Amino acid sequence: MNRDEIAELAAGYALGALDADDRARFDALLASGDPEATAALRDFEGAVAGLAAESVEAPPPAVKAALMARIDAQGRSREAVARTLSSVKPSPSGRSAWTLVLSGAMAAGIAAIAVGWVVSTAYDRRVTQLAQETAALKQELERQQSLVALLQDPATKVVALSGLEPAAGARARMLWHETAGGLLVAQGLPPAPEGKAYELWAIAGKNAPVPAGVFTVDAKGVGSLRVEPIRVAGAVDTFAVTLEPAAGVPAPTGAMYLAGQL
Amino acid sequence: MQPAGNPTDTPVALLARIAQGDREAFSRFYDAFAGLALGLIRKILHDPAASEDVLQEVFWQIWQEAARYDPRRGSPEAWVVMRSKTRAIDRLRAIRRRGKTFVAPVDESVTRSSEAPSENPGVAAETRGLVRSALDGLPEAQRRVVELAFFEGLTQSEIASRLGEPLGTVKTRARMGLERLRSLMKREEPAET
Repeated sequence: MNRDEIAELAAGYALGALDADDRARFDALLASGDPEATAALRDFEGAVAGLAAESVEAPPPAVKAALMARIDAQGRSREAVARTLSSVKPSPSGRSAWTLVLSGAMAAGIAAIAVGWVVSTAYDRRVTQLAQETAALKQELERQQSLVALLQDPATKVVALSGLEPAAGARARMLWHETAGGLLVAQGLPPAPEGKAYELWAIAGKNAPVPAGVFTVDAKGVGSLRVEPIRVAGAVDTFAVTLEPAAGVPAPTGAMYLAGQL
Repeated sequence: MQPAGNPTDTPVALLARIAQGDREAFSRFYDAFAGLALGLIRKILHDPAASEDVLQEVFWQIWQEAARYDPRRGSPEAWVVMRSKTRAIDRLRAIRRRGKTFVAPVDESVTRSSEAPSENPGVAAETRGLVRSALDGLPEAQRRVVELAFFEGLTQSEIASRLGEPLGTVKTRARMGLERLRSLMKREEPAET
């Protein structure tokens, strides 16, 4: 590429007017550290910036105030996440913290969207879209908040479930609260065959196992299940997971994959 | 635009601090460049409320993406200018798509290129109230190319089709236009046309 060609690309680049193939060529030049391309671009960008500088216009204070408010709101939700995370100690494998991270990210996302929604002035087209996203996120946030509340409750217990013969490497953690229900997070389970799913069982003493919901795992063998409070005679002290027909069954029939006691 | 004082106050240093989440650095960076950005956005959009909206988007993006600034690719000033321009053009196109016509057409004229020669973008820009000084120092043909690229967001091939000129000519004019602008800004004698 000769000097003129490089200068032409640099000019188009500085103006933001290159067609895609030219832009790719110039990006490659820049990435290779080509000194002529770099120098030409700096030069032309200076001219373009100078053009922009001809019409400096003082922005109204409200714009900056809105930005700083967004930044502060973002900071607050990050701190809240950090506090929540640091308050949860028992995490032998460290994996179940992903639910908290998720809830934190949701909170941050909600805060950013909500604040942005309040401060922005005239987004007619995007308002509808944002409102829909906000509604979806709110729903998700409520779900996540109930999990965070569960984690913060001293009455919540953490039960470790170990893998049994069919998947000895599998593990799971059950967050369990007698009156609020709980959350199971499992990892290392093989994907359930067609028409099958994993079913969680809650067992109180010598009573028969009570079904607590079915779940599947993703390609990495990770799955989770939100468990509603279970009405049983006595306190639940054991959890187990078996492989069952996908719709779930009232009493266990398949092989047991995971089990753990309070 | 370079805030005077110690090295942690240079725009490059401020961006590095913003990338670490430094609120104070962001505040200073905003004070240094928001006026520049808003002036440019207003030139493209004309609508004050939409312009302030885009200004906020641009700086929110800067807050979140300061780490992506690469000093080898240009000054922070040029970086802000490019981001402002891109966001303003995006908004202009969105407004166009919604059929609001208080701004000049962006791409319709490209699809109607046979009618285009009757249009004089330079005059169109003038009637839209663009403040020009350095641009006035450019030969008409170069000025059109720079304006269409910079203020209306057309690509070089779109400009070629709008003006009915070969792509190579548009590229050359863009280069010569910017070279001349640069020398005008340096208060030198204009380069050859």
